[in-house]
Amino acid sequence: MSRYITRLRMRRTYKWNGRPVGEDRKLKRKYYESMSISVEGKTEDATVSSGQYILIEGDDDDNPFVAQLHKLYTDDSGKKKTAVVQWFVRMCEVPQNKRKLLGRDPHPQEIFFYQDRSCDNEVDGETILGAVQTAPATPRTPRHATPSIPSRSAPARKPGNVLEEARARLHVSSVPESLPCREQEFQDIYNFVESKVIDGTGGCMYISGVPGTGKTATVHEVVRSLQQSAEQDEIPHFHFIEINGMKMTDPHQAYVQILQKLTDQKATPDHAAALLEKRFSAPAPKKETTVLLVDELDLLWTRKQNVMYNLFDWPTRRNARLVVLTIANTMDLPERIMINRVASRLGLTRMSFQPYTFKQLQQIITSRLNRVKAFEEDALQLVSRKVAALSGDARRCLDICRRATEICEHSGSQKNGSGLVGMSHVMEALDEMFSSSYIAAIRCASVQEQLFLRAVIAEFRRLGLEEATFQQVFVQHQALCRVEGLQPVSVSEGLAVCQRLGSCRLLLLEGSRLDLFLRIRLNVSQDDVLYALKAD
Amino acid sequence: MSKRRSLTEAQCVSLAQKLLRERLCHQKLPDRPLALDSQYKHLLELLRRTAVHGESNSVLIVGPRGSGKTMLLGCVLRELMSLKEAQKNVLLVELNGLLQTDDKIALKEITRQLHLENVVGDKVFGSFAENLAFLLEALKKGDKSSSRPVVFVLDEFDLFAHHKNQTLLYNLLDVSQSAQTPVAVLGLTCRLDVLELLEKRVKSRFSHRQIHLFSSLSFAQYVDAVRSQLSLPPDFPDPKFSDAWNHSVTKLCEEKSVEEILRRHFNSSKDFRSLHSLLFLSVSRVSVSHSTLHEADLLEASRLISADSKAIILHGLSILELCLIIAMKHLNDTYDGEPFNFQMVHNEFKKFIQRKSHSIHKFEKPVVMKAFEHLLQLELVRPVDSGVCKVQREYQLMRLMLEHGQVMEALQRYPQCPTDVKQWALSAFA
Repeated sequence: MSRYITRLRMRRTYKWNGRPVGEDRKLKRKYYESMSISVEGKTEDATVSSGQYILIEGDDDDNPFVAQLHKLYTDDSGKKKTAVVQWFVRMCEVPQNKRKLLGRDPHPQEIFFYQDRSCDNEVDGETILGAVQTAPATPRTPRHATPSIPSRSAPARKPGNVLEEARARLHVSSVPESLPCREQEFQDIYNFVESKVIDGTGGCMYISGVPGTGKTATVHEVVRSLQQSAEQDEIPHFHFIEINGMKMTDPHQAYVQILQKLTDQKATPDHAAALLEKRFSAPAPKKETTVLLVDELDLLWTRKQNVMYNLFDWPTRRNARLVVLTIANTMDLPERIMINRVASRLGLTRMSFQPYTFKQLQQIITSRLNRVKAFEEDALQLVSRKVAALSGDARRCLDICRRATEICEHSGSQKNGSGLVGMSHVMEALDEMFSSSYIAAIRCASVQEQLFLRAVIAEFRRLGLEEATFQQVFVQHQALCRVEGLQPVSVSEGLAVCQRLGSCRLLLLEGSRLDLFLRIRLNVSQDDVLYALKAD
Repeated sequence: MSKRRSLTEAQCVSLAQKLLRERLCHQKLPDRPLALDSQYKHLLELLRRTAVHGESNSVLIVGPRGSGKTMLLGCVLRELMSLKEAQKNVLLVELNGLLQTDDKIALKEITRQLHLENVVGDKVFGSFAENLAFLLEALKKGDKSSSRPVVFVLDEFDLFAHHKNQTLLYNLLDVSQSAQTPVAVLGLTCRLDVLELLEKRVKSRFSHRQIHLFSSLSFAQYVDAVRSQLSLPPDFPDPKFSDAWNHSVTKLCEEKSVEEILRRHFNSSKDFRSLHSLLFLSVSRVSVSHSTLHEADLLEASRLISADSKAIILHGLSILELCLIIAMKHLNDTYDGEPFNFQMVHNEFKKFIQRKSHSIHKFEKPVVMKAFEHLLQLELVRPVDSGVCKVQREYQLMRLMLEHGQVMEALQRYPQCPTDVKQWALSAFA
């Protein structure tokens, strides 16, 4: 049965608002920002502009289509008006069998994003009825979720006094523009990448060094200054992407991430590998060089080593124009874990970042603090020397200095001394952050626990071994209880004491199912235990 | 004139019990943790700086089991959330190494607790790789001054270090050291050697801040703590009852015998969890007819707690099984702890029956074997090699899981033990 249109059709006139905002001479189009619709009988004109949600004539006057207006244009003559839209569908327009895919009950006025190749995105402008208000529904469908953490209600407080300012500057995350003490390394990496970018060739470089020596930060600095050069047209433009082996759940995800960062496509690992293979093999004369930074390379190891093989093989292709910079911790990683063909493709361009010396650490802290006078000279020296002697890790050094400022602030609020961080604060911070807490734990243990430790040492001495069963130690424990004049403990209590010591790892125990015969070892040296117990 | 209903004695007692039960069993947070002042201040300052200034930090709270790590954290978070600035801004994510046994599960839990946009209702969409990328992207987009700081609490931190590649730990600590959303990573663990579990990259990113909760209570402070744990708070509805109760508690703590009990308990372990189990057992003996705490209650509770579990099992054995145990004890004494088999035990038992016993029935071998198997089931006797036995049942080597002293003590209290069995046990030569 055909439908009869019982309502009078309102005549609508369409008019462009303002001047054209763009023109396409090839297609002979003029783009407009907005259009006004005057309806017969109504005094006010409706305006629709790009970006707004609009209603378009549908099959039925009660159910117009909803869409988001993207562009408005007209042809040369100015008569034909066309609109480019993004369609949305209502739940009632979705076929019955597909409604269950949502997994929940939709709001009656909810509309959904609609993308279908069969549907034309360009419509006659004169079918537009008017604008409509939309509000985002909660929750949104996950496919279009944007990752974000909500914002604060008020901005974070800025540092108030000198110590707070020093603390903010000493935080590991406030990386300076240019890293001190890494000038030579910066230059080498810069030259390497710059030459590859200018020549339009590819290459690999392997950077190694213990954690906290500035490898990733230096590479970022190199890329930043190269990007500045490129903006000033001194060198050709290049594309920088970065992946990290630890931020992936599986080595094959590397392909997925590289593809996404290069071309914004999502794909499965196998498909992504194939697409990248095609991209790097196909000749394309105007292609930009790609600079790829691979952090934590050793986690991309697989048994067949195909991920690493591909990463080092692609730069060798003539048309790839791929420069790969890899970072890891061990100097001999290629020799140790890579098979020959992979190691040879990695090449011999290697660079090793040495741990910082105490002078370098001192310079790093001083340059971070800049003009802020918060530390005494010898306090700084002490920290640098201590950390340099141990690991040469800049992060450790900065964290200790930050803790020292906290201690200074806390004690300062009680004593009103000089505001500078002195030797005593630094020594307290070093003590806290370098100490091994076993001795303190033994000193604070209960009487029976201390007695048990004594019994363990006595049994070890008797047996001449470093291991004893619980039964043997228990016999010694009972004897010690008698000597000390304490009430003897039952086996259950003795086992409980033993388990408590085992859970803090003062003792190393076998499984408790072995009962009387579980073997006990000491996790601390005997001298340390005796020292801790003696000090009472 | 007073509009308050005066409560009956029964109602007072049950209300008092309810209050004390909440304190002792339900782990209600105290107003202020006992003897942990400096640690409390340190932790509170740290979290305040994260909430107010947006400074990222990481800290480990280390202490033996029952020393109050979770309690301390609960009190600090409670005070932090009472600050106006923190209340509306701080996002809290709580993870537990025992519940989230894998990084995949942990990631889903983080995403769900943060209500990120790939969560619909309670279900998290996406694969492990997608979830990780999504979370990292969300944290990366934030910045120090405008994003809400996130506090990650990782209970049983040492278990997270056993996950594959320590991916979650690396990523959380990396965010705490980069110019991204401000985060505070708090780990709670009882292992003192937890830092040795971390990989070198993860260890470098950790700020090596540790807060130790070693109990340095003296005995006098311990008794004081007992008194305050058992006292009723000042806002109890019936002040006459609560005054009388508190008075009785104070008198109780001054008694010599109670001090002995508490000292014995204090010598064994100083932590509050075991103290609470002792106090709970004694408080649960209070009733309407018995409306104050007596030393007998504490004595009984102490006896229950320090009882030897195996000795209690021995009291439930039959005479035949007990005789087998004694036979095994004799074998141990003779052969100096070497493993034995059923045949040897049976011979020993037969010797006793023939020479010394008058009251024990002469049981057949299969019956004795059945009794022996019952002891095996109770794991009072265990085979030396728990693998596949290639030997006949009777000749499999076993070990007794009881100490000499345990057997003797259990025998003393065994109900209606025949005298010849007792004498046999006490004799030096079988």
